[in-house]
Amino acid sequence: MGSLLEELGWTKYVGKETGTYTGEPVMARDIRRYALAIDDPDPIYRDRDAARRSKHGGIVAPLFYVTWAVGVPGAEKSTKELGEDGLATFVGIPEVPNVWDLGWVRGGEELEFFERVRVNDRVTVKGKIVEMKEKDGKSGKLVFVTSEFVYTNQDGKTLATHRLTMIGTPRKESRHA
Amino acid sequence: MPSQTFFEDLSEGQEIPSLRKEVSSVNILMYVASVWLMDRIHFDHPFATKRRGLPDVVAPGNMGGDYYAQLLSELAGETGQVKRMSFQFRNFMLAGDVLDVGGKVVKKSISDGKGLVELELWIKNRNGVNCVPGKGVVALPLRARS
Repeated sequence: MGSLLEELGWTKYVGKETGTYTGEPVMARDIRRYALAIDDPDPIYRDRDAARRSKHGGIVAPLFYVTWAVGVPGAEKSTKELGEDGLATFVGIPEVPNVWDLGWVRGGEELEFFERVRVNDRVTVKGKIVEMKEKDGKSGKLVFVTSEFVYTNQDGKTLATHRLTMIGTPRKESRHA
Repeated sequence: MPSQTFFEDLSEGQEIPSLRKEVSSVNILMYVASVWLMDRIHFDHPFATKRRGLPDVVAPGNMGGDYYAQLLSELAGETGQVKRMSFQFRNFMLAGDVLDVGGKVVKKSISDGKGLVELELWIKNRNGVNCVPGKGVVALPLRARS
């Protein structure tokens, strides 16, 4: 069996930078609802007075929120344009041709944190594909694509770095079935 | 306000206070709506079970990252800082799961006047399966000043 990555023609994208995306200003409402979803009771995510008294001096987002703070480039599509699974795309899906010939799941992530996301921040993400591998799995070939991202705010401060591995498997049927 | 944990308060091998998370289908819906992650496996039960063969709708694995972020942020407290975390997605967290989110100190060191604590992390479902094995590093203040 030949190499799936060679067949897809993707190995030349290792080292390729992703687009640079900047999100809209982060809203207190987004942070508050995100904290509710994960059941994190820390008042710094919703209570202005408590947040002001804390080391942060104001409302900040939960740590992992930084990976969502840009919004998801390309995800906001009408229902007619979505695949059967409902998805348009999400951060970590590599920017390579025919990417949706594979089904994708997240493999693993590493993050380093520097500054918190704050209300009104406009977060920018920029990244690149750093590695591609393939392995034989139980039901066929698996492709592992690792990307590294840097998140910065409107002042150019680094908020976090993020290394993310996505696992792709060839689809048995079209995504729009 | 909870009291601050200092570097000297922890020893290698010690478990840190854990979190109990009940990840209901409502939590999952709140999460995917708030971040616009509209994958049907997270909210469409017939799709998740009949089309994808899953036992139930599943939480996005990233919620494990959020649970670790809370665990480590609570450990860091007002004067500490969460430096790093990493995790692998091994098993789905199902709607209705009750999860034990915890960690154990594996190494302590001092760098630039700060105490660094490295932890092994787990998110165990009620069957004791670690769905999202992870690691974290937290900087904690030192009680003793040299």
